[in-house]
Amino acid sequence: MEAPPDNDVLWARSLHFTHRDGSPALGGVSIGVREGEVLAVSGPRGSGKTTLLSCLSGLTRAERGEIWFNSAPLHTLGPVARERLRRDRFGWIDPAPLLVPELNVWENAALPLMLRGTSRRRAKAAALEWLDRLDVGDRARLRPHELTQAERQRVCIARALAPAPAVLFADEPTAPLHRADRAHVLRTLTTAARSHGITVVLATHDPETAAVADRTVCLLDGRRVHTVHLPPVGESEGRAACSLSA
Amino acid sequence: MLALRVTRSARPAVQVRRLLVTAASAGTGFLLLSTLGYALGHPWASASAVLRLAWCVVPLAATAYLATAVARTDPGTRPRPGLAAIGLGPARLMAVSATTTALSSVLGSLLALLVFLHLRGDLTGLPFDGVRWEFLAPDQPLPLPGALTLLSLTPLTCSTAVALMLRPRDTVLATRAATRTLGRVGRQAAKAAGGRGGARGRAGSAPTRGGTGGPEDASRLPVSPPGSRPAADGHPAAGHRPAEGDALPAAGAGPTEADARLNGAGPTQADGRADGAAPRPAPPRPSPTALPWGAALLAAGLAVEAYAGGGATAAGLRLPGGLHGPGAALLGWTLTALGLALAGPGLTHLCGRLLQSAHPGAVRLLAGRGLMEEATRIGRPVGVLCAVASGAYAMAALGTDSATAGPLTVLGGLVVAGCALATLGTAAVEARQARAETTAALVRLGAPATALRGAAALRAGALLALFVPLTALVAELASVPLAG
Repeated sequence: MEAPPDNDVLWARSLHFTHRDGSPALGGVSIGVREGEVLAVSGPRGSGKTTLLSCLSGLTRAERGEIWFNSAPLHTLGPVARERLRRDRFGWIDPAPLLVPELNVWENAALPLMLRGTSRRRAKAAALEWLDRLDVGDRARLRPHELTQAERQRVCIARALAPAPAVLFADEPTAPLHRADRAHVLRTLTTAARSHGITVVLATHDPETAAVADRTVCLLDGRRVHTVHLPPVGESEGRAACSLSA
Repeated sequence: MLALRVTRSARPAVQVRRLLVTAASAGTGFLLLSTLGYALGHPWASASAVLRLAWCVVPLAATAYLATAVARTDPGTRPRPGLAAIGLGPARLMAVSATTTALSSVLGSLLALLVFLHLRGDLTGLPFDGVRWEFLAPDQPLPLPGALTLLSLTPLTCSTAVALMLRPRDTVLATRAATRTLGRVGRQAAKAAGGRGGARGRAGSAPTRGGTGGPEDASRLPVSPPGSRPAADGHPAAGHRPAEGDALPAAGAGPTEADARLNGAGPTQADGRADGAAPRPAPPRPSPTALPWGAALLAAGLAVEAYAGGGATAAGLRLPGGLHGPGAALLGWTLTALGLALAGPGLTHLCGRLLQSAHPGAVRLLAGRGLMEEATRIGRPVGVLCAVASGAYAMAALGTDSATAGPLTVLGGLVVAGCALATLGTAAVEARQARAETTAALVRLGAPATALRGAAALRAGALLALFVPLTALVAELASVPLAG
């Protein structure tokens, strides 16, 4: 078995995954994530980005293929060990800010730390610090429903960054935001990750978002591609007929 | 037909819940029929027959309560974008839900009729033919219209209750609720938008949120008490309100969600995606405020019972109106039960508040805040269960020296207690359904399953620790004057 390269913190080879209903998701994706980089996984909707991220983070188990994290195999771990690894070393940002509605903002951000067994005071200090850094420090005592969507998403990012994970998986973190908020959120995310040496795997279908990354990996229909050649959207007759000016 | 199809293709857990409604309805129907039998056998004792009929209200109410709880958790009759698109909006789904409920309770009523006829000896050839209880009136012919009228009571009550609970609300109500709860946010948004109509946009988009959300969104809202139901109904009604078209991101989420639905490979992925398209946390339900009323009613009930029973010892304090005797005791019990049911949510909220106080860790925080959030949903059935339990305790304490309980009393007690228990279980299922999304997010964060389970166990333990002594105390207080 070939050992992974030293500078790759996370490394996967020929991952295959099929959904339970039989629709194919990943067909032999190989990927290497270097230490401390921001890697964008781009591709249109339905190209398997989310599945790849959840396989890499151990949320779902790939059918075939290998995943190595820090030179230790992840694909052979059981669910409990994967859960522990996810809690201790990985962070996850959802496409939508899913906060626990009954906790206030700083409690939400401190929750992963508290789940790891950090004392309440230290968890609160770390959470408040990250919230300040992400410009939502003044909202720390509000409940999630009182925030705007962009603020909630920033709280989610603070929650993911507060435990200082080794690898942060961000699944379309800017999907529900306007472009101004999108740029702000991305900037804060990448700056924080770079300054703390956190490796980020960023799934996105937006080329602008992918531009902030150090490296981009393209997926198409569950396969890794180097050049995307999609047929250009031509002006068909139906379009012309439907247009209002015609 | 749709109701039948929806009924048939449900998961076993859902079918079990519907069977519980059937069983409760069967029990209630049998009680009603035996009232008829008693009246047939004792045509001169009309007052006593009416009293028996009046007692049937308690199991009837318990059955309707269970039916509404089951209908709220029914996944088949929840607003779904796909169904709304083909014209099955909240109104039709309400009809489907009411029909489903009617189906299960009619089944129960028929079962009750069969058993009743069989026990009377009208249907021969089966065991237990020889039972000749007086309430069966075995010598008289059973008047069919009367029996059918009585039997139709349960399905009618259950269906009406379900339809009333799930009735589609006007969006005006939703707007009012949303502006009330979002008032502060709306003002902040207005401030941030620098008077570009931000507040209007936000307030306008609020009612559509439930509509543009995926099935999770819809599932989160309808299970809450009637107050937040309208948010889910905003979905089909969005078409009536063209002004909301410009109300930004929520409105724009529709097509992307549809895309996700088309592209999404598996149903789970599609759901997760749709969930990601437009997730807005629902404003929390207001914390329960009926605790003072509940406490007052409880105290009043206990006082009435004390006066009713303690005539000999407290002769100087006898009420001039003559509040004594079994009628007063019954009134006291009713007041006590009502007080417990009203105080349930408030006490649950208090329980959660105590649980998360004083520097809580993650588990205690999740458990306590969850309990505070679910206080209305969980607290009411818990209060009702406590009322039933205290009533049963007091009856048992009294029943030791008085005549032993007849089969009908036992059946009625079983129906009421079973309904209260089943309603509590259904409410717990409902709460779990409503929190499924949050739980999934916590799992993705890496929250250990033991922590989540520990939080749930802590919640149950805290409720037990508060309500068991309370029930015992109330039951003891209620039974002391009656026994003495």
